[in-house]
Amino acid sequence: MTSDERREALENIALIKNLMMETREEMSRSRGGWIAVIWGVYCLLGIGGSKLLMPPGYLEGIWWFALTAPAMLATILVARGMAKRQPPGQRRHTFHWFIKFWAPMLILAYTLCMFAAFLPGISVEYITVFILLVISTAYLIIGLNFAPEMTVMGGTGLAASILTAIFFLDISDVILSLLFGIGLIITGYVLNRKPRE
Amino acid sequence: MPEHLTIGLDKVIHQKARLGVMSILAAADPVDFNELKRRLKMTDGNLSTHLGLLEREGYIEIEKTFVQKKPRTRCRLTTKGRAAFQAYVERLEAVIHALPPETKSDGKRRPT
Repeated sequence: MTSDERREALENIALIKNLMMETREEMSRSRGGWIAVIWGVYCLLGIGGSKLLMPPGYLEGIWWFALTAPAMLATILVARGMAKRQPPGQRRHTFHWFIKFWAPMLILAYTLCMFAAFLPGISVEYITVFILLVISTAYLIIGLNFAPEMTVMGGTGLAASILTAIFFLDISDVILSLLFGIGLIITGYVLNRKPRE
Repeated sequence: MPEHLTIGLDKVIHQKARLGVMSILAAADPVDFNELKRRLKMTDGNLSTHLGLLEREGYIEIEKTFVQKKPRTRCRLTTKGRAAFQAYVERLEAVIHALPPETKSDGKRRPT
């Protein structure tokens, strides 16, 4: 048994690990970009519609809700397409992870929105700030664990949400929706780019 | 690697190009021919040869279709291929563990 043989065996194991890791990373990036684009367009259409087309009041809420349904549907379709490209064992793991992570985040965002809507001590103007604080935190967690570029998005979102809440609360929905909308579309574009060798 | 060490290592998988193909297919299902070519930096002919061998062994399935009049070739691991790949990785790890940590190129152990 020689060191050359040992080296060859170690090289093969390293090759397997690298290729599998790179493949998984590329897969999660490739179509994942479309999810970012969907929610970026959602932010822009949402704020555009509620400020330009709708009279102030409850219609604004209906507009956002009406946009949420197709955005969710499109997200599920893209996520299903992504899952189909994964090996059977990993497919279930990814789906479980997705549900376990995003479900508590959505419950938290919804709870904070309910507080802002019904508790007299909290202004309804905080709704957008609360939603984006939760989403930014989620991005930060995903970024720190899986995709470093999302850390920037999460950090920027957190800073922007806090600063907007302090200095521009009355127009925070416009600022944050535009910031996140454009940011998500750019993120989607970056993720969808084919890697070049 | 000499014969005595490769005992139990699948000869079909134990080749850099085919090992690359199997590793990528183990992580994604299915994968386009062009994607494999790009990732492994191989020519069409070379990749086709290796894919043909893996297909003949029953380790992969090759699906040829037309999308908007353009040919599209996609590959995926079969159940047999996935099991063979898993067994290969386990065997390779066993070989690594069986080797002493520091050995000379002549096969003699270094004094510690």
